[in-house]
Parts: sequence; C-alpha cells; structure tokens
Amino acid sequence: MSASQPETVPVVEMRGVSKVYRSGSSARTVEVHALVGVDLTIYPGEYVALMGPSGSGKSTLMHIIGLLDTPTEGEYRLGGEPVRGLSEAQLARIRNQRVGFVFQAFFLLPRLTALHNVALPLVYRGLSAAERLKRAKAALESVGLGDRLDHLPSELSGGQKQRVAIARALVQEPDLLLADEPTGNLDSRSSHEIMELFEALHRQGKTIVVVTHEPDVAARAQRIVRLRDGRVADGG
Amino acid sequence: MNPLENFRMAFESLWSNKLRSFLALLGIVIGVFAVTAMISLGQMAAVGITQDLEAVAGRSIFVQPNFNEGHDFSTAPIREEDLEALRSLPVEVIPQLFSSLQYESRPGQRRSIQLQGTPGDLPKLDPTSRIARGRYFSETEARGGLAVAVLSDRAAKDLFPGREAVGQVARLYYPGGTRLDLTVVGVLEPPGGIFGGLSSGATVYAPIQLIWNTSPTARRGEYAFVILPLKKGADANQVTAQVRRIFESRYGKGRYQVQSTESFQSTLRSVTLILQGLLGAIAGLSLLVGGIGIMNIMLVSVTERTREIGLRKALGATSGQIRQQFLIEAVVLTLVGGVLGVILAAGLLFLVTATVPFFKVYILSPATVGLALTVSALVGLFFGVWPAAKAAALDPIEALRYE
Repeated sequence: MSASQPETVPVVEMRGVSKVYRSGSSARTVEVHALVGVDLTIYPGEYVALMGPSGSGKSTLMHIIGLLDTPTEGEYRLGGEPVRGLSEAQLARIRNQRVGFVFQAFFLLPRLTALHNVALPLVYRGLSAAERLKRAKAALESVGLGDRLDHLPSELSGGQKQRVAIARALVQEPDLLLADEPTGNLDSRSSHEIMELFEALHRQGKTIVVVTHEPDVAARAQRIVRLRDGRVADGG
Repeated sequence: MNPLENFRMAFESLWSNKLRSFLALLGIVIGVFAVTAMISLGQMAAVGITQDLEAVAGRSIFVQPNFNEGHDFSTAPIREEDLEALRSLPVEVIPQLFSSLQYESRPGQRRSIQLQGTPGDLPKLDPTSRIARGRYFSETEARGGLAVAVLSDRAAKDLFPGREAVGQVARLYYPGGTRLDLTVVGVLEPPGGIFGGLSSGATVYAPIQLIWNTSPTARRGEYAFVILPLKKGADANQVTAQVRRIFESRYGKGRYQVQSTESFQSTLRSVTLILQGLLGAIAGLSLLVGGIGIMNIMLVSVTERTREIGLRKALGATSGQIRQQFLIEAVVLTLVGGVLGVILAAGLLFLVTATVPFFKVYILSPATVGLALTVSALVGLFFGVWPAAKAAALDPIEALRYE
C-alpha cells in the first residue's frame, strides 16, 4: 500500500508486529498471542477506525501504537522513527510529543480546572506556566470551550468533559490523535457532537485513530481496520 | 519539569484533601514540637541554672581546708599571710569564720544557730549578699570588734518571730555557755532561685574580730573559709589554678580544697545536656511514629490515585517524574508538619518564659529551628521513598484500567 505514496513518511508503520503475553509459572507457562504479524500503515491526515470484537487485540494494538506497550516481535516506526530498544523515559518523551490520547472515561483530574487539565501534558515539557496556560486556553477555544476555562470537571457535562480531554490531546500538537472508545460514556447527542469535532479536526489535517466497536462511529472514518484474533482481517 | 512545579502540585494535592493531610501530619507536628521544645527548654534550663547559681554564689572561688582527708580545721586553717598572697590576684578576699551557737527560742529551750564571722562591708565585696532592711556593719566597725550583727532572713524570723529585728539585741551562747549579745543592724534579703535553699539557713553575721575576742575556741589570725569573688573580666579557670598553686606551694598538695562556681556550672551543664539528649531521643521516637503515619497515608494516596498516575504516564510523565512528585508530596507534608510543630513549640516556650520564673530567657535558636525542619524534611524523604517507588513502578496500561 505504501508504494502508492512513496514520498510521504507514514505516521504509523508496522511490519509483522506480534505481541505475546506469558503468564503462569515457568513449568506451566500460558502464552496468549494478542497480536500476530500485524502490518499497518497510517499516513498523515488519515482518519482511521480500529474495529473488532473484544479479545480481538485492538486494545493491545492501540497501546503499541501509543507507545504504552512494545511489540514482542516485528518493527514499529512512529513518524519514521523505530521505537525498538528505547528506554522507558525515551518512550515517555515521545508519547508526550507525538501521541495525544483520548479515553472513554475522559480521565480528567477532578481537582483541576478545565484549563489546568488541558495544560497538564505541557508540564512534562518544561514550558513556563504562562506559556502552558496560553496554549491550553487556545486549545480549549478550538474545541468551543473558551467560556469554561475555570470550570471543574464536575461542573461540566459528559460531552464537555470529552471535549476538554480532546483539547488536552490537541495542546500537545501530536502527530497522532489516538481515541479509545471516545463516545462510549456519552449519550447520543453528545456522541454526535464529539464525532463532528473529530471530523472537523480531520478536515484541518489531523491524523486520527479511533478505536471503537460501534459501527456508526467507525462509519465516520475514512478507513476501517478490522481485527480478528490478533490479525488484521481487513483494511490494514 | 522543574521541582518548583512539583512543590506547587504537591501543595494543591494536599490542599484538596485538607482533613486527611492534617491528620496525617499531626504525628509529625507532635514529634517536631516535642523535639524542638525539649532542646529549647534544655537550653533555657541551662541559662536558668547558671543565673540562679550566680545569684547565690556569684562568680567566685572557694577555699577551705580539706576535711575529707582527715585534716582537722584547727590543724590547717587559712592564715592571714595566705590572704595576703591571694590579694595579688584579681579577686576580692572575704575570709570567714564559722561557729555554732545557741539561742533561747523559748525560756529554757535552746536551739542552734550559725554564727559567721565576716570582714564587714559584705555587700560591697560580694554582690550576692543584699541588704533588705537596715545596713551592713562597716569594715571599721568589724575591725573594732563591735558587738553588731546582720541576720539572714531565716535567722531574723527565728530570733525575732513576728517582730522587726533591726535595732533588737540578739542574745547568743557559745557551746561552753559564754554569752554573746549582738545589736542587730540589718537583715539580708532571702536568696532566690532554685539554689536559694542551699544558702537559706539561719545565720548571724558578726565581725571576725568580735569572734576572736569572745570565742573560747577560735584563734586570732586564723580563718575557716575564704570566698574570692572574681573581679570583672577575670578568667575563672585561670585564677582558680593560681589560687590552687598558692596553697600547694605553701602547704603541699591536697590540703586545701579550691573550687569555683564555674566548675559547679560545668557539672550542671553536662547533667542538663545528658537529660536533654535522653528527652530528645524520646521525642525522636514520636517523629518515627509520625513518619510511619506519613508512609501509610502516602500508600493510600498512591492506590487512590492509580488512574491519575496512569494518565500522567500516558501524557508523557517518566517514572522518575512520578517518583519525584510523590516524594515531594511526602516532604511537603512533613515540612508543613515541621513548621506547625516549631510554631507550637515557640508558643509553649513563650508561655513557659512568661509564667515560670526559673526560665528567665526565651531561647529558640535558628540552629534548633533549622534542625527541626531538616529532620522533618528527611522524615518525609525517608518514609516517602517506598510509596513513591510504588507509584513510579505502576504500569500505565494497568493503572488506566484500574477502577
């Protein structure tokens, strides 16, 4: 597939990625093959949905894409850089600069205001407080929450919380927006709101990967990658 | 990220859990309070002891024949020529003579009282004797052997209960029965401080000359005891050594006992120091208990904030940064406890200084405060290590999944 666009560096490039979990004692080791020989390429500006039933390995794949986990076998390049052999601290730094996570349960810190929640990833970049807050404010404005800067998460609706979380990902200016069931905790109206926001971000040229099991969420994406039993069944 | 950021974060996190943070640091507050108060009270007590001792004894050197080694006072008295040798030193020379006399407390009932021969003008020579009423007999009166007396506060009460003693005649009897009538010209102030009891006996002060003239046993030109109040600026240890040399060169080693208030003080100070160390160690135990409380609360906090830790790692925090965050939180917790403990201790010390006369000065030295705060920070560091390591070791995937 990459042959058609040889001049562009893919955001995600996987070749033969496998993940094996071993558990139990050495005498009776149980091996779980979560991923088997996955090839996956995602180019800048793509909007990809990652689908599959539970146990299909889509969570594992998402964790590897987001550098929260590393492959047992195979090659993975994020933004053209191989991640094999990187230290925990190096992976953390790359996560901070290249990957923006959006979670199903939002994961906002309850005691921080929307503005400070959004500024949180920038704390680990060593930016000054003023610069962090300036960028966080701009990110919140870009998701339409410019009037909710000083609200605590408990004072926001579900849809608003998820928009704060998206702003927190956007403030990192990542290569990749990685959303795990972003509408799973939302009612249909809020879900719709969030899907429209993703589409708008896609139009702005952002690279987005949404992990979901909901067909109508996946249908909004440009491309659907289906996983079954740890293998790419379709769309890789 | 800079450490300052971590401190701000730590404060926010602790502030958001005010009641729990307060309860957690209570142990540290009590521990630091106890340590600080113990050290400072010890220092204040040392000053109190020194000052009280000076109030009863001044800065003085004492010489007396060494009774311990079987030398009878009469065989080794202090002689006039010894006093002459001492007068070259930076001291006042107050020779004294003691005699036990009796008085009639009721008709037919006799009780003992101490008669002390002095050279007169005592308050001028020795700042620890203060006249309450009347006056002290002068040197001229003393040399003339006039039958005058100054009474200690106790003696005035014993001899003239319920009456003004000044102007009365005190009738005393030597052990052989010889009568001695003395006109009371003055009464001394009672000695103060915790050592007041040491010198609060019933004593009648009379001219040495008079005792030589009237006593059947005392021999002219011989004294039992000499007090040498140091003049301003004189070095106690140096002069003590000089006095000792004078007596040793005249009579040989061990015949006379030469002591100074300075040596009493250093003995008392070392006793105080030992007590202080013991109490400090006990107070330190409470810091240990407080530290364990901090560890407990930090472990709870790590478990409770598992998802926060997972999120921070996902957003790019390294394990080192997570460890730093929790360590600083523990240190901030114990430091706040330390500051509160020092403030409480300062309050107690202030109260004690204001209400207990023995503690004359308020001492809370910067060194003590520094030590208290350093120790409390170290307690946080020590007891924060394990919880912080636990937080740092969390797997972000597991942590984010944690319910």
